[in-house]
Amino acid sequence: MHDDRITDMARSLAARGVDRRSLLRLTGAGAGAAMLAGMPGLAARGIAAPARQEAQPGGTLTYARDGDADSLDPQKTTTTLSWQVQGQIFESLTAFDAEGNIVPNLAKSWEISDDGKEYTFTLQEGVVFHDGTPLNADAVKFTFDRFMAEETSNPSKASIGPLTGTEAVDDTTVKMTFSAPFAPLLSFLTDPFSGIISPAAVKAAGDDFGNQPVGSGPFKFKEWVKGDRIVLDRFEEYKGFHPMYGHEGPAYLEQVIYRTMPEEQARLAALETGEVNMAEPPLEEVIRLQGDGAYTVNIAQNTGQLVFFEFAVHRAPFDDVRVRQAVGFGVDQAALVSIGLNDLVQTTQCAVGPGILGGDSAVCGAAGFTHDPEKAKALLAEAGHGDAPLPVTLATWTGGNREDVAQLVQNQLNQVGFDVKLETMDIGSLNARVKAENNTTEGGGFFDMMGWAWFDPDILYALFHSPGWVDGFSNPDLDAMLQEQREMTDREARLAKIDEIQQYLLEQGAMVPLFSPGWNWILASPTSVQGFQFAPFNRALLYDVSIAE
Amino acid sequence: MGAYIARRVLAGLFTLWVVTVAVSLLIHLVPGDPVRIMYAQSQSTGPEQIEAKRRELGLDRPIYVQYFNYMVKLLHGDLGKTIRGEQPVLDLLMLRLPNTILLTVAALLVAIVVGGGIGFFSAYFRGTWFDTLGMGVAIAGIAMPSFWLGLLLMFFFSVRLGWFPVGGTGLASLILPALTLGLVSAAVLARLTRSSMLDVLAQDYMRTARAKGLAEPLVLARHALKNSLIPIITMLGLQVAYMLGGAVVVENVFAWNGVGRLAVQAILQRDFPLIQGFVLLFAVIVIGVTLAVDILYAVVDPRIRYES
Amino acid sequence: MVAQSLAGTISLTEERPARSEWERIWSALRRNRGAMIGLAITLLLILAALFAPVISPHDPTLMGAGGSLEPPSLAHPFGTDKFGRDLFSRVVAGSRLTLYIGALAVAISCTIGSLMGLISGYAGGTIDNVIMRAVDVMFSFPDILIALSVVALLGPSLQNAVIAVGISAIPWYARVVRGTVMVERQKQYFEAAKSLGASNERLLFRHILPNALPPILVLATLGFSTAILSAAALSFLGLGAQPPEPEWGLELALGRDLMRQAWWIMTFPGVAIAVTVLGFNLLGDGLREALDPRQRRMG
Repeated sequence: MHDDRITDMARSLAARGVDRRSLLRLTGAGAGAAMLAGMPGLAARGIAAPARQEAQPGGTLTYARDGDADSLDPQKTTTTLSWQVQGQIFESLTAFDAEGNIVPNLAKSWEISDDGKEYTFTLQEGVVFHDGTPLNADAVKFTFDRFMAEETSNPSKASIGPLTGTEAVDDTTVKMTFSAPFAPLLSFLTDPFSGIISPAAVKAAGDDFGNQPVGSGPFKFKEWVKGDRIVLDRFEEYKGFHPMYGHEGPAYLEQVIYRTMPEEQARLAALETGEVNMAEPPLEEVIRLQGDGAYTVNIAQNTGQLVFFEFAVHRAPFDDVRVRQAVGFGVDQAALVSIGLNDLVQTTQCAVGPGILGGDSAVCGAAGFTHDPEKAKALLAEAGHGDAPLPVTLATWTGGNREDVAQLVQNQLNQVGFDVKLETMDIGSLNARVKAENNTTEGGGFFDMMGWAWFDPDILYALFHSPGWVDGFSNPDLDAMLQEQREMTDREARLAKIDEIQQYLLEQGAMVPLFSPGWNWILASPTSVQGFQFAPFNRALLYDVSIAE
Repeated sequence: MGAYIARRVLAGLFTLWVVTVAVSLLIHLVPGDPVRIMYAQSQSTGPEQIEAKRRELGLDRPIYVQYFNYMVKLLHGDLGKTIRGEQPVLDLLMLRLPNTILLTVAALLVAIVVGGGIGFFSAYFRGTWFDTLGMGVAIAGIAMPSFWLGLLLMFFFSVRLGWFPVGGTGLASLILPALTLGLVSAAVLARLTRSSMLDVLAQDYMRTARAKGLAEPLVLARHALKNSLIPIITMLGLQVAYMLGGAVVVENVFAWNGVGRLAVQAILQRDFPLIQGFVLLFAVIVIGVTLAVDILYAVVDPRIRYES
Repeated sequence: MVAQSLAGTISLTEERPARSEWERIWSALRRNRGAMIGLAITLLLILAALFAPVISPHDPTLMGAGGSLEPPSLAHPFGTDKFGRDLFSRVVAGSRLTLYIGALAVAISCTIGSLMGLISGYAGGTIDNVIMRAVDVMFSFPDILIALSVVALLGPSLQNAVIAVGISAIPWYARVVRGTVMVERQKQYFEAAKSLGASNERLLFRHILPNALPPILVLATLGFSTAILSAAALSFLGLGAQPPEPEWGLELALGRDLMRQAWWIMTFPGVAIAVTVLGFNLLGDGLREALDPRQRRMG
């Protein structure tokens, strides 16, 4: 059997070169079952950090990434590449500490009304934006008014739920009012996408704010040569409150430069020649770099990322749940991870990523998919596709070995009765393509390997509540459940509801979870780059980074 | 000679004109709706945006109006904006062009030194083992895919020996791409130089020069080399054009940050304004180089005036 | 790049080639060692393509035929790729794709180019002028640039890459065929046939085309190697063949990323391309020499 061979191969690969356990430890995969509250601290990073010299201010961090941001306006985009930069420019009201607890940031405290519909935040004092505008209650109100405004067409709008209004009570007090209790609010407020923007700068720049962003973060925007580099300068008046920060005052680094280098070999070369001092290395090189004393390899844990399949469910053949399930049972996650991804990630059975409430594969596994080619074949036959291979298209986005993973999927599914055609494109294209496929009744079977990163199970609302992120799978029963979990302020009750929703999604084959993490989560630097930390959910903290002589 | 140069300039301008027509109108040959294809590659675009882009590109106008508008913009140095990121196309191209020129010039040097050298000595030592070896290598070299040669050089010099980086933008990173691009042309050049030299060496004036007792290196330098230059210069013009084409491939092998790398990304993303700009830019360069060589040719060989 | 070796003009035969002409070409070819090597390589490629399923020890797309990234061994003479596919089987299967690429590209350029040349040479006047200026313009650009532009329009795929490569070689045929037509038109037999009332089609296809066949053959042979090189380059850039097609250029692109781990993936497909291109080049050069009257006198 072909599929047996591939599994054997995966096993032999794991047995041959790679000590699986050490890899699991490195990736934090062993801690995959951890909930937010019990997340292991960063001490488990696995790489012996070199003795830290006394941090010297100055220096430039040049960071090579596989692509460029599409907008630096946090209310205009959902891509990781934009979000990474926004995370340095903007500050948010709340933050996750190293253990994943939600703690004060720009908001130094808050109160929640008994009915769960009113949140009153008290802001830190004396914080200013890069343009000198004071960061006060008016700025927060401005931010969330714009966030919700129709004309902003903010893709993250649904993430802030039933917000009806934001009110500046006094200079440092802000009240947010909801039409229904909204459990995910505090975790969403940690995100750069809900970062506070300078009202004066937005008014001055108008639609061009995405090209000249102004926030209150440790680094301020200087220059953006699209497709090539984004340059940020240190913000001298910065006041930071993040619980993981190791010093006070402005950041050490004088400048941060994000460079776009799509070819992984080019990024590696740039790192090795010193042209850049931080880069996403090719996955094949991670072990070598770890063994090389000249480099530090930072691997983010509990990224909240999930790579999964989703289907064009509004037309044949994926309008048939059996065909979707056939994909789920036909795919061998273990082989994808070991052959395609060098065992640097973990397989997962859940509809939300590991680290997120509900992302415990031991629980979802019961309802989820296992590798069962015979069952896949039977399901296909039952759906009336037993005679000839069923032609379908699988699309995914470039980079991170996903082309290889897609080829493995193609091979696996072709053995259970599909005839898979592959397409790869960049992530922006993929989003647009999936939406287009969901809005046409013409054409053959289409499904895609997508990735989402979030920090709260409410991601399922964004993805699957009608009309859904890209007009995909949705229905009234699901809508009701998704609405209910939002309003549950009791953690245990909410977890039970989330598990119920996940079970439903998996049974319906609305999605097929594959693995986590999947993109932009490994960073290599020469050891001279010190003080780097990944905060939970893949947030790179550059504030404490310094360059040793 | 003036009339000849004028004719060449006119021919160059004609070619350029044809290219502008092709570049501005070929978008209509795209199977399907070009604007939709462009935006199939871009994030969350509504029908209004698509209509707006169609208007911006002037695709709703009659074709001759489209061409006229394109030319007006072009003459103002406006090549439009990219679909991705709405960047001025000209700025993006100009940012990368110096790297492509640097690579091509370095490769040209490699081609002249290596190709010219092998050709020259193969002719001089005609029939010896050097000749056989040189020409064997040249024939094999012509069959060599540039991207494979690049990989081999990268494997031996970067991965195995660690002498040069496998990519990047520094001067050390230039050596392997320049070698790759240059060696392919060197093979063509070696064969040409050899046959050109053989022709010259058989000429009477060579015998005369030797009979006059001139030292052999002087004979070669003063008479042989100079006279064999003409076909080589013509070929060099062609070679520069081909090198620019080859640079697209080689830049992508080594991730050299030139126009070619930008062009391939533009094609993969179906960013038509950027592709149009790239084609136009390369056309201008190729036409310019060809023209320069034609003129140089006329200067080196005055007989060209009598060209039929 | 290969097409440049055509830059030297192709001399046209003086008379209509009779059976004896083809015999003469063959005997000249047989005396040319390079051409014979080229012919042998070409035949080998065709045999490999024909009998690919018999020669290949494994299905070229079968993952897990061996372990991941196994170095060459008796079981896997060229080693295996990341997915445990047998590289030898993939290279052999690639010969089929390569023949398809070469044949289709040459068919496109040959048909369109020859037709353009025939029309241009026969019609003369404005039509001739327009066609030849178009050909001149195309000639002023490297093939790969024209091919890139066409792929940019049509979108990346193997078929589009082949079409692009085919289009880029059109001017060679147009120019050579037009030249033949111009020469033949001057000949007495042509005038005679015309005065006897032969139709245009008859004149073109019975009298002129056969004379153009030998140079077309040379062009087609050399065009094969150009097409293979260009299409492989496009595939290498991601603009041609798509996974899991065992196309040689695409294999090399995959081999680049695994260079440190598996030298064999970036080696064997490259050898295959280079040898194939060399074969067609040698054969084409031999054919050209055999057809060149100047060479004949020297021989």
